[in-house]
Amino acid sequence: MLMQMSSMSAFYGKTQILRDFSFALDEGQCVCVLGRNGVGKTTLMRSIMGLTDRTTGQIEFAGRQIGELPTHERSRCGIGYIPQGRQIFGKLSVRENILLGSFARADGQVEVPEMCTSLFPYLAENLERRAGLLSGGQQQQLAIARALAVKPKVLLLDEPTDGIQPNIVAEIGETLRMLNKELGMTLILAEQHIKVARKLSDRFLMIDNGRVVAEGDIDELTDELVDEHMTV
Amino acid sequence: MDYSWAPLMGSLVLGLSIASIWLVAALGLTIIYGTAGVINMAHGEFIMLGAYAAYCAQAYLGTPFLLCLPISFVVVALIGLFFERVLIRYLYHRPLDTLLATWGVSLMLTQGVRMIFGSSPKYVQVPEFLSGNVSLGIMNMSSLRILIVLMTVVLIVGIWYLFYRTYFGIKIRAVTQNREMAASFGVNSERIYMCTFALGAGLAGVAGCLFSALAIVLPTMGSNYVVESFLVVVTGGGPLVGSIAASAMMGEFKSFFSYFFNSTFAQFLLFVLIVIVLRFRPNGLFANTAVRR
Repeated sequence: MLMQMSSMSAFYGKTQILRDFSFALDEGQCVCVLGRNGVGKTTLMRSIMGLTDRTTGQIEFAGRQIGELPTHERSRCGIGYIPQGRQIFGKLSVRENILLGSFARADGQVEVPEMCTSLFPYLAENLERRAGLLSGGQQQQLAIARALAVKPKVLLLDEPTDGIQPNIVAEIGETLRMLNKELGMTLILAEQHIKVARKLSDRFLMIDNGRVVAEGDIDELTDELVDEHMTV
Repeated sequence: MDYSWAPLMGSLVLGLSIASIWLVAALGLTIIYGTAGVINMAHGEFIMLGAYAAYCAQAYLGTPFLLCLPISFVVVALIGLFFERVLIRYLYHRPLDTLLATWGVSLMLTQGVRMIFGSSPKYVQVPEFLSGNVSLGIMNMSSLRILIVLMTVVLIVGIWYLFYRTYFGIKIRAVTQNREMAASFGVNSERIYMCTFALGAGLAGVAGCLFSALAIVLPTMGSNYVVESFLVVVTGGGPLVGSIAASAMMGEFKSFFSYFFNSTFAQFLLFVLIVIVLRFRPNGLFANTAVRR
């Protein structure tokens, strides 16, 4: 077991977003988090990172309780976060963005890992460019590269294909498949595109109103389930 | 050179000197405000403490003036660190309240220094080679003012290097832009703010040490510099380059207006000019559009 979340509740101010949320994740798995907008997918990611106002319940990660740790120490446990809307540092260069990712590395080595440059040749050729000048798809690549620089045990991907043109969506999907299937990296993927989710994931987690309403192997994700919890 | 142009050129050089004094006074404030968003009203008193640190080092330990510069830096940085730990760190999410809290700190510091050292002015001796004048061809300038210009350049290069060429600088800029994301990649923003505040205080200390030689050392001397420091930061908009541009502009205009009118009227014109600039660029010349808490 790589990560286990048990009876987690998360709040913004006094508003409760996640209610009694539990799930477990094995190493090497790709779990897809599904649900409509506003049911708590992003909050789930943020509460793993410790970015919500308040949480109760436990998160165990790689044999360590991280539920009480401050955000910067959680990332150092080996969690690579790719937030919604990418949130790269627009005023920093591509190189600086990736180096920043490696600040969270457990071994303390600061570098642009070879994996980032071989996965994303465009970034490798534009290391000195201001990240804010990149296109949306390139920024998403940078967000992934930055998270990979952490040398993470798990990648949290919050709608990585949101607002990105279709041909890049396929490219990013392929990158994620490669990371998961060939390099054995564990992924938690919040996704709206059911097709992408079906193609990539081993398991799914259906959320509605801050609770897990269904989970299982991805084959068990029936169209009825999708209709019930994802159709608006 | 045509004789009639020489005084005007001279006033431009003088403007550079004024600019460097205002800039060196504003450097610490720029860094603290630009990074942590703290409005540090005690900045003038940090300058004053730097001057007293230089005075003490010289009067009690016989330290030569140039060695007082690093001493002032360290002493005031430690004092800044102390106030950051016991007070400022609880106020990062309430930037406006930092204004009141640091104002209180400034009153405490002024009174505290007055209790310890009394209200009588203190003097800091400068070595022989700094007390004279240097001929610049068209005009004479005191070597101390030239030292201040040089020191300002050295400090700016140092800060630029720290901010843009070190890992610590990447962390500072990342925290300034997006604190949550910086934390998500292992940057301890509390520590960054702490170091930045101490650094800013230390820079005020260096400024105070320089000013101690320029004028007399008094418990209330901070208020002479704090207004110009804030004007530089506000007009510049927060980033270092903004403060450099703002102080250069203000110094030159002050000197330029003083050439045609008297100094008081020049000050008036300068303030009017700043109001006009802020009317059209309310966030300053180089507004920082960073995400703040």
